[in-house]
Amino acid sequence: MDLRAGDSWGMLACLCTVLWHLPAVPALNRTGDPGPGPSIQKTYDLTRYLEHQLRSLAGTYLNYLGPPFNEPDFNPPRLSAEALPSATVDFNVWRSLNDHLRLAQNYQAYSHLLCYLRGLDRHAATAELRRSLAHFCTSLQGLLGSIAGVMAALGYPLPPQGAEPAWAPSPSHSDFLQKMDDFWLLKELQTWLWRSAKDFNRLKKKTQSSAAAVTLRLEAPF
Amino acid sequence: MNLCKMLALWTWIVQALFIFLTIDSVGGGLLKPCGHIIPESPVVAPNTTFTAICVLDEECLSEHHLNANQIFWKIKDTRVPKEQYTILNRTAASVTLEDVSSLGSPLTCNILLYGQIEQNIYGIQIRVGWAPEKPKNLSCIVNGQSNMKCQWDPGKETHLDTTYVLKSEWPTRQLTDCIPPPNVNNSCTVDMVVVYVNMDVWVVATNVLGNVSSDRINFDPIDIVQLLPPYNVTVSNSKEISSILKVSWANPVDKPFEGLKYNIRYRTKDASDWTLIPPEDTASTRDSFTVQYLKPFTEYVFSIRCMNREGRGFWSNWSAESSGVTYEAKPSNAPSFWYEIDPSQGHGYRLVHLKWKTLPRSEANGRILDYEVTLRGGKTSHFSRLINDTKMTLNITNDPYVASLKARNIVGSSDPSTLTIPGHDFKAAHPITNLKAFPKDNELWVQWTPPNEPVNKYIVEWCVFSDNLPCTPDWQQEGSATKLTYLRDLMESKCYLITVIPVYDDGPGSPQSVKAYLKQAPPSRGPFVRTKKVGKNEAVLVWEHLPIDDQNGFIRNYTIFYRTSSGNETAVHVNSSHTEYTLSPLTSDTLYMVRMAAYTDEGGKDGPEFTFTTPKFAQGEIEAIVVPVCLAFLLTTLLGVLLCFNKLDLIKKHIWPNVPDPSKSHIAQWSPHTPTRHNLHPKDQMYPEGNFTDTDVSVVEIEANEKKHLPEDLKSLDLFKKEKITTEGHSSGIGGSSCMSSSRPSISSNDESESGQNTSSTVQYSTVVHSGYRHQVPSVQVFSRSESTQPLLDSEERPEDLQIVENGGSGDGASPRQQYFKQNCNQDEISPDLPHFERSKQVSSVNEEDFVRLTQQQMSDQRSQSSGSGPMKDFEDISAADNFGASNDGQIQRFETIGLEAATDEGMPKSYLPQTVRQGGYVPQ
Repeated sequence: MDLRAGDSWGMLACLCTVLWHLPAVPALNRTGDPGPGPSIQKTYDLTRYLEHQLRSLAGTYLNYLGPPFNEPDFNPPRLSAEALPSATVDFNVWRSLNDHLRLAQNYQAYSHLLCYLRGLDRHAATAELRRSLAHFCTSLQGLLGSIAGVMAALGYPLPPQGAEPAWAPSPSHSDFLQKMDDFWLLKELQTWLWRSAKDFNRLKKKTQSSAAAVTLRLEAPF
Repeated sequence: MNLCKMLALWTWIVQALFIFLTIDSVGGGLLKPCGHIIPESPVVAPNTTFTAICVLDEECLSEHHLNANQIFWKIKDTRVPKEQYTILNRTAASVTLEDVSSLGSPLTCNILLYGQIEQNIYGIQIRVGWAPEKPKNLSCIVNGQSNMKCQWDPGKETHLDTTYVLKSEWPTRQLTDCIPPPNVNNSCTVDMVVVYVNMDVWVVATNVLGNVSSDRINFDPIDIVQLLPPYNVTVSNSKEISSILKVSWANPVDKPFEGLKYNIRYRTKDASDWTLIPPEDTASTRDSFTVQYLKPFTEYVFSIRCMNREGRGFWSNWSAESSGVTYEAKPSNAPSFWYEIDPSQGHGYRLVHLKWKTLPRSEANGRILDYEVTLRGGKTSHFSRLINDTKMTLNITNDPYVASLKARNIVGSSDPSTLTIPGHDFKAAHPITNLKAFPKDNELWVQWTPPNEPVNKYIVEWCVFSDNLPCTPDWQQEGSATKLTYLRDLMESKCYLITVIPVYDDGPGSPQSVKAYLKQAPPSRGPFVRTKKVGKNEAVLVWEHLPIDDQNGFIRNYTIFYRTSSGNETAVHVNSSHTEYTLSPLTSDTLYMVRMAAYTDEGGKDGPEFTFTTPKFAQGEIEAIVVPVCLAFLLTTLLGVLLCFNKLDLIKKHIWPNVPDPSKSHIAQWSPHTPTRHNLHPKDQMYPEGNFTDTDVSVVEIEANEKKHLPEDLKSLDLFKKEKITTEGHSSGIGGSSCMSSSRPSISSNDESESGQNTSSTVQYSTVVHSGYRHQVPSVQVFSRSESTQPLLDSEERPEDLQIVENGGSGDGASPRQQYFKQNCNQDEISPDLPHFERSKQVSSVNEEDFVRLTQQQMSDQRSQSSGSGPMKDFEDISAADNFGASNDGQIQRFETIGLEAATDEGMPKSYLPQTVRQGGYVPQ
């Protein structure tokens, strides 16, 4: 167990426990259940990897969309794409949410994004791009599974699995607006991944400290 | 509705067709659709029991009155035994087969139609194969970021169509199956794996006999990632620092993480071992690295691999190799430097050949552009020159000089290598000691003990030591601390002359040399052995030492093999310093084959065979025999000649006797029968000797009787004088020469019977033999005469003879003399002639006269002592005188009787038989 707890109390408690009940430490180690820690870590790593993966995919895809989408300082106003789950939630509001809600939000957002993402496939002209997209989708699918796993590990119920919104090309959209949607999709993905990474990192630290606290509670009566 | 109608119609048509076909087939003798086998197409595992059931069609049964017990089974053309059949009911029968795999296919159900016609009902093909084994050793590896290749061991061949499927799932969902390409049953590549999500992977194998799953493996693909190696590896050098190289590369793009760590390895181009840069120096993501502490002007080869920085997954393969050369640096060492003096120049000058070695690449540190030679000393106090070659010849005075040499490349020049060339009158001293050279590990090592004086360096020179080639030395320089070094690029089985020269501040020391071989070999040929001298029991072998070029090593010893043509070979070992050997003992008069082998440490080689024969006799042996024999012969001859000379007179008399002229003889004058004397002459011519003897004897008779004038030498006379009383034989022996030996026995026998028999034997002897022999040829006339008057002379001379005897005193006086005649050979017989001859010829010489006188005295003595005997005996004696040579004791005895007979019955013709019938003549005895 990694006891690099930011929380000094937890740290102290942990130290006390270890010192006080030294003979009991092997028993502690033998608890066997790794808890949600490793899966949170994996989810975090996967989020980072998806960030990394999205960078290269976005670069390729924006180039494929062509100017002005591939220009670095292109920052269009968000006109449409309301269906997309926006990550631009107020920081304080987001912070005020509990873990369960945040995880549920993540899960729902990625479910939607994944659905939209699959719609990008129609544009992908090159096999390489198609393959990259497919791989990213699979990875995102993995992320969804990971989040579900974390939620399960933490004892949270999964959010209700509504029918995935089938992507349907809206005939009203012009080709440019369609590209704009794609652009925003990628933008939202990036934002979500960035925020998810922070969330999972925080959750990781939190579970580590709470794990120490759990240990203390377990050991204290002896 | 319409459709249903159509279907019904179709069914009817098909049924009708079927019945028709059935009927038709029956009519045609075929029982095609009369039954079927269950199972239709079985697949059976080997060594398992298989049961098939043949079900007969009801319609056929009734039509052909068939029964299930009429069914029989066949595998190919072989009928299956009845014991394996089971009748299930009226229409079905089964067969149970133990091991189908050994029986083959097809299995047919048949029926005996009408009790004799075999009809085939149905047949099935049985396929034999195994159920799949559980796949083992499943393992996966992720290449790049999404491709995952999994491998497994499919196990035993099933002989059936078996499919393998790689299945995978996340905790939350099943993933797409991976199906291997055709004809692949042990691997599959998943093209989209997601890292950081644990997954279960397993393999399912399926065929008609069953399916089986492998064990599941669970992993996070990030832990089995193997990236592609870095690419575009380049190496560049730095002009400022000649000991560094910068390696640059591009990292693999397709990777599921950012952080990388590396392994960088390098080696010099010629080496095979790699040097790894400490991994802690390359533990972070980068695309270049500068390697330090490299050798200048050296080509290095690099390759790189990478993996996840956190150590998850596997190292990539090594990248393609890339090489670069470090920049040049100034030469790190001074070149080896040496010289030779050619003193041939006169007038205070000498030629010095400076020579040096090119620096090895590791010391040159670059491309050597030229060498700077500097000479100090002598009249030209300083001299400097740049030269591209590695040698230089200078004409210098006899003064001492100091030469120095620098090698230069583009960066700079080496430290100088300095050499003192001593003056003309310099005397080298202080040699090294204990110089040894020995081969070890395929190198020729040279070892020495340094002198006490401080040495600057050593020069080792060597050359092939040969009879044919001049010694052109190669050389190398060794540092002052060197005591042991080895020589490079030597040939095997060549003799090397190695010289070590210590070099001091003031010049070179005395050289020391040693000979050595890198590797010895047996000699190229053996020595030519030959004989220098061959004796009766020994042979001196000589040979010459092999030429150096044929030795191929140090000749340690020689072995001489020698044998006779039939005998065993004998080997003799001879020290290598010898060139001569004496083989002994040998058998005389024998052919020997000898050859010789020379041995080095590595073996020997036989020389040609040389053959020689020992003589029968040792040297000088023949001489030792021949010379004494010759000498003895010579001596004998000489003695004989001397004797002959001494007895010249006797010989002369014997060979060319003075035939007395009968006409002038006293008898002739006395005898009135001149004609009878004439008759003698033809007899003389025919038998000159005999006649001569006769005549001679007759004369002697006369002489002896008259004057006792005997022609004996003094010695014999003396002896005669001494022993005259004891025996006449002695006296006769004295005079003998050639016939002495033969006469001696007679003498001895005479000695035995000396006293009484002497006179009588004399008489008998002379009577029979001589007269018989001599008168065999003469005409009857003679006989007639002798019948009347006794032999020729007797008849004529008898009266005188008698008279003489009577005059002389007693008759005995004549008998010793007669015996003497009888026993002596011709020579002796001559002796009586001599006085007679002298007397008749009246020849007077001092010796003869003396001799005569002596004889006369002797005679007179004898006369006085001898006993008397009849005149008849005298006569017989004379007549036999010529035949003494062949006489012996027996004869003498015989003569005695004969003589007696002759004495009593004188004039008997029988006694005059020719010699050829002498035996017959002797018969009377």
